[in-house]
Amino acid sequence: MSHIEIRDMEISFPTPKGRYIAVKDINLSIEKGEIISIIGHSGCGKSTIMNAIGGMLNPTQGTVTVNGKKVNGPGPDRGIVFQNYSLLPWMSVYENIFQAVDAVMTCSKTEKREIVENNLKMVNLYEHRNKLPGQLSGGMKQRVAIARAFAINPSVLLLDEPFGALDALTKGTMHLELLKLWNLDNREKTIIMVTHDIEEAIFLSDRIVVMNDGPASTIREIENVHIPRPRNKLDIVNSLEYKSIRDRLLHLLTNKFSVEDMGIDYKK
Amino acid sequence: METATSIVEESIIKRSIESRTIIKKEVKNENNKPNLFLMKAIEAIKSAAYAALGLGLILVMWTLLCKYTHDELPGPIATLTVLWELIRDPFYDYGPNDKGIGLQLISSLGRVFSGFLMGSLVAIPVGILMGASDISKKIFYPIVQILKPVSPLAWFPIGLVVFKNSETATVFIIFITSLWSTLINTAFGVSSIPEDHKNVAKAFGFSKFRYLTKILIPYSLPHIITGLRLSIGVAWLVIVAGEMLSGGTGIGFFVWDSWNALSLERVISAILIIGTVGLLFDKVFTYFEKKVSYK
Repeated sequence: MSHIEIRDMEISFPTPKGRYIAVKDINLSIEKGEIISIIGHSGCGKSTIMNAIGGMLNPTQGTVTVNGKKVNGPGPDRGIVFQNYSLLPWMSVYENIFQAVDAVMTCSKTEKREIVENNLKMVNLYEHRNKLPGQLSGGMKQRVAIARAFAINPSVLLLDEPFGALDALTKGTMHLELLKLWNLDNREKTIIMVTHDIEEAIFLSDRIVVMNDGPASTIREIENVHIPRPRNKLDIVNSLEYKSIRDRLLHLLTNKFSVEDMGIDYKK
Repeated sequence: METATSIVEESIIKRSIESRTIIKKEVKNENNKPNLFLMKAIEAIKSAAYAALGLGLILVMWTLLCKYTHDELPGPIATLTVLWELIRDPFYDYGPNDKGIGLQLISSLGRVFSGFLMGSLVAIPVGILMGASDISKKIFYPIVQILKPVSPLAWFPIGLVVFKNSETATVFIIFITSLWSTLINTAFGVSSIPEDHKNVAKAFGFSKFRYLTKILIPYSLPHIITGLRLSIGVAWLVIVAGEMLSGGTGIGFFVWDSWNALSLERVISAILIIGTVGLLFDKVFTYFEKKVSYK
């Protein structure tokens, strides 16, 4: 059995106008140590799938199984990095991570402190440990959120548009940071990431799940990325594999590539 | 396609706005640094001048009112002389009907604080319950709505019957009238905890206790303190009326006693003292509000 199994999952929400089906007929098996991206337009239920794996919401139909156990709530085997970092603004960086570790782990206080410190060092924020989240830049906040998720040592890491709010340069560094952490951990963690960004998805993922538009969205296609690791950003963009995947994804996600496609007669 | 481009556009706009504001801030800081002290001094002088203007207006109105009542109402100078007398020897004690203003204030403050403290001890937990659970909101909210607008004086007979003691009855009316602001503000604070913060608790399996101490209370503390500030204001407002009814000691009794002795100078002096103490309360709680607010 795969590390994560999603079987015939449908998720719907009651609304005043009746039930709104967010996603349906979702079938997905994810192996241990895989990096998966879920990509699609806004409102296609990407985050809904993430939240179902994370246990933040329950499927209306079908099941989600992680490590052979059916998911019916959040658990320490899954670390979640939220879209807007979700750090507690009244606590220092250190305390934000410590509270999560303290809530999840059962080891001694000294060991917990060690875990927090190690994770802070891993994301290069140890010197900033006493700062409040409000004093950090977006990239630093995201690193704290990732360190917090890593600190509870989950087997699955769920990232909901983790780099969406960062500028392009910081984003590039964060991609490498994430891969560094994954490698330091012997590539045993399964990473599932929601994104809008095609380049990001190709650079990071083993497989890319492309969603149809909502409502009642389904999985449109799953792209395999066979580019060998470690990947080098400079090199892979020139590879044929990269280009063909990017083109296929572009075609799946958009149908207009120039102003001429929008019905404009471009006068030269 | 449309959605995708709009998202890109949005993020570009956001970023450009952000960068612009950052630049603005930096420019401002550089301009401010060299003459920061001077600017602050000018600002202070300005606000002092405006305050003096307001005070002058009051004095003019007061004087006009004296003229209008043919000097039955004492003027500023006569009143300030009496006020000075009162302040100069605040702690004398010549028996139950003749005590210094300081002693009267202390007994009033004692009642206000005990009523306010008990009120807060009830209001904060109940407010947390109301904010955190829909069921307790449905239970308590109608009670709050009915009892909140009741005048403090209407509670006095109830207090007398229950406690058979006018002293305790006065504390009781402080208790019951100072509850509401704290309760409502606490409930509001707790009910407005962002989903993000709740998600953290959910995702990392926070216990009820950890949620309470690490998320609920820190988040709602500024709201609670605002409630407490409003509540102590109400308590201080109510004490004068309460003591007028209960008699014995206190600043309210002092006002009533002075009126019976036809010493309006003392009445107005007491009003000035009551106002000043109220202002001090407000300042202290505003300080705490700033202390606990987070960025």
